[in-house]
Amino acid sequence: MAQEKGYYKDAGLDVIIKHPPANLNAINYLQDGSADIVSLFLITALDARLHDFDLVNIAQMSEHSAVVFVSFADGPVQTLKDFDNKKIGIWEGGFDESPKTMVKHHNLKVEWVPILSSVNLFLMKGIDLMTMMWYNEYNQLYLSGINPDELNTFSLSDYGFDIPEDGLYVKEATYQDRKAELQAFVEASLKGWQYANQNFDETIDIVLNKMRASKVSANEAHQRWMLSKILEFQGFSGDQEKKTQLMKVDFQKALEVLKENNTDLPATAKEITFETFYKPLLIE
Amino acid sequence: MNFKNIINTESLSFRILTRVLLITVSLFVLTLSIYYIYTRNLIREAARENAIQLAGNIAGKIAQQLQPMEKLPQMVSATIEMGLFDKDSLIVVLETILKRNPNIYGASIAFAPNIFPEKGLYFMPYAYRNNNEIISTFLGSADYEYFLMDWFQIPFMTKKPYWSEPYFDEGGGNALMTTYSVPFYYHTEQGRVQGGIATIDVDLQWLTDIVSEVTIFETGYAFVLSRNGMAITHPDRSMIMNESIFSNSENWEEPLLREIGRDLQQGNSSFSEYNLKNKVKRWIYYTPLDAGGLSLAVVYPDDEMFASLHKMNLILLALIIFGLILLNFTVVKIVNRLARPLVDIAKTAHKIAEGNFNAPLPEVKSRDEIRLLRNAFVNMQQELGAYVANLTATTAAKEKIESELRIARDIQLSMIPHSFPPFPELPQIDLFAELKSAKEVGGDLYDFFLIDKHQFCFAIGDVSGKGVPASLFMAVTRTLLRSIADKVKSPSGIMKLLNNSLAMNNESCMFVTFFLGVLDISTGELSYVNAGHNPPVIIPGDGAVKFLPLANGIPLGLQENYEYPQFSLSFKDGDKFFAYTDGVSEAENSQHQLFGEQAILDVLMQHKSDHPIALIKAMDAAISQHVSGFDQSDDITMLSIAFNHGSANGTPRNKP
Repeated sequence: MAQEKGYYKDAGLDVIIKHPPANLNAINYLQDGSADIVSLFLITALDARLHDFDLVNIAQMSEHSAVVFVSFADGPVQTLKDFDNKKIGIWEGGFDESPKTMVKHHNLKVEWVPILSSVNLFLMKGIDLMTMMWYNEYNQLYLSGINPDELNTFSLSDYGFDIPEDGLYVKEATYQDRKAELQAFVEASLKGWQYANQNFDETIDIVLNKMRASKVSANEAHQRWMLSKILEFQGFSGDQEKKTQLMKVDFQKALEVLKENNTDLPATAKEITFETFYKPLLIE
Repeated sequence: MNFKNIINTESLSFRILTRVLLITVSLFVLTLSIYYIYTRNLIREAARENAIQLAGNIAGKIAQQLQPMEKLPQMVSATIEMGLFDKDSLIVVLETILKRNPNIYGASIAFAPNIFPEKGLYFMPYAYRNNNEIISTFLGSADYEYFLMDWFQIPFMTKKPYWSEPYFDEGGGNALMTTYSVPFYYHTEQGRVQGGIATIDVDLQWLTDIVSEVTIFETGYAFVLSRNGMAITHPDRSMIMNESIFSNSENWEEPLLREIGRDLQQGNSSFSEYNLKNKVKRWIYYTPLDAGGLSLAVVYPDDEMFASLHKMNLILLALIIFGLILLNFTVVKIVNRLARPLVDIAKTAHKIAEGNFNAPLPEVKSRDEIRLLRNAFVNMQQELGAYVANLTATTAAKEKIESELRIARDIQLSMIPHSFPPFPELPQIDLFAELKSAKEVGGDLYDFFLIDKHQFCFAIGDVSGKGVPASLFMAVTRTLLRSIADKVKSPSGIMKLLNNSLAMNNESCMFVTFFLGVLDISTGELSYVNAGHNPPVIIPGDGAVKFLPLANGIPLGLQENYEYPQFSLSFKDGDKFFAYTDGVSEAENSQHQLFGEQAILDVLMQHKSDHPIALIKAMDAAISQHVSGFDQSDDITMLSIAFNHGSANGTPRNKP
């Protein structure tokens, strides 16, 4: 919306938005330089940082984890314990650290089945469980005819893994060189989000139009669900001012998860601190 | 504008017409309603059957295309399992499949990772069409990780054949496609191992064409959904591959759609109402198809199926209205024509009433009630004419009789002496008499005459009965009296002869009460006889009035040779005599009260000094007062004589 409403232009920025294909992670773009700013899960970004990739968080958009495990209510998985020895679908393009860590944390042995781009394997009952974004795939199930009472959901936040997700990241170097622009970018982006929050229907229309223009399957019902849930997760609900702050406690949590998941971290990992990682651009 | 001025709402034709119309219209409405309801149901049933048939038809056509296609990868799979292909000849197999099956766009055999170590991780021979050429290649790379694609992953994990969700294939000119995958296995020392997936890509354009061409009535249509409810074909093209029945259910807030989608996913078919907000009432029949994981639905509007019924109704209605109008005119015309004679008969009746008995009645040709009426009128006319003629004749006869009666009256009256005083040269007697008959002629009589110089005979009588018979008898009596008195001079003698003459040949048995007196005017000696008549009254010059003593005797004419006793009396000077018939004593008023003999005596007493004329006039007045206008039922006759003995010398004592 910031792009649509010309906020970037107003800020003197010429912004190009790219969408990586399903099999690639945005981080690859950052790594190979095809993008200056990327949107990443906190845990993904921290993991990269721990592995010596010098990126920094300039704005934290998501405030809560939106990842859920979903199983059929009439299937074999009714509780967390039932995860044991099951096939769990997990998204290929990243976003897998938290769920994997959670499963390991509870001493469950599972077979992770990589999922590329659809929930159909789950619908066809080829797997028992699947990780999904509450704001996206979960609704796809509903729009494929599955009623909520026919599903069991296990939300990461309910099991102590409520780690915020999307945030904006740049290379450390970029941050140092283009602070002002980045700040302008974050401000404009935030403004765009606020506009979307206040002009829900218009935003939906614009998104649908863009999708249709790119011949991407688009339906209003799903977009409405997505936008409203994302706004929620990003903290736009209610009258509270949205903050782009990364909370230190969330940073710590993410760090712990990663440490637990990774047994071989390089030495430099110890030097990662909250301050070195989080470079807020907006004074809040 | 008064309706009644234009059409006579009281006329036969109007009344018949309104009643006939009422019944006919009611019948029509009833029949039409029944027919309409029945036909509506029939049509609805027929449309339903039609829709189901149509869906079955389309489903059949689709299955006809898809089911044979399923055989191909199944064959490939089976053949691979039998080890009949070597990996280098696989491409040829795929190319052949394409050559032989124009509807198949692409075919592949995608092997599981590292199945052929020498080929590496990926091994996927693939043949496809490009314009008119068949091109073959090998797919599989880091950019094309087919293991994770639905068409591979799903049959691989579920170990069952799988029709994929339809998709747009950019390589295939953005055509709508679906892929059918069949897993195959290898038998190794470790047992059965998954080898990979054999696939064909099917272009769904023909399916879109078949379904899009479907029209039911005006706006009915069909559409196809994928397993996940996605619209594969739809009259609204913007929905294709964008909206599913479930997303539309959310968009339009129509829970019905979600129900239908889920019902289809359960594998159910159903025919039901399809009523969405702000849309006309519609029906839907939906059914899962046998291949492709697809479902089909046909939708058609409720009211359009009745379009021809409504048209039919309009035609019928027009016909009915036309028919009714025709009926209208015909009935009016017919009834008027039938009733025309009635009007003519009425007109003729008026003429007859005015006196034209010969007014001609109209001819009636029909043999119906109107003819009956006409004949009755003719009869009445004739009878009336005859009656009137009869009446006229009778009236003429009656008038003749009346005029004859008047003549008879005159004759009768002339029989009675009516000039007074009768004997001016005889001052000894003052006499007055009066006869008033009830009818033109009557049976009362009086008479007086001189038998000789000194004998004065007078008589009063009353014949039985009234009218002409009594008057004839009275005439006979009077005539006989005169002729007998000519020869016989004594009262009893006269009476006897008179009686015998009357009694002889008296077949009618009439009689006459009679009083006869002979007065010797020189001596004042009165000799008298009575035959059943009211006793006359003596009015002495001094003293009270009294009835003459006499014997009654029987009336004349009844018994021959009856001896009537004679009596005598001496009149003194100033005595008076009053005789009357029972018309006086029995004069009655409206209360049927009789005048009475006492009244006679009273009046006579009151006027005893009067001249006979005054006396009789007074009696008249008294009688008139008594009857006070009541009709006279009997003849009234009075005779009064005053004797003036001392007037021999000529001076009458009493002046009239």
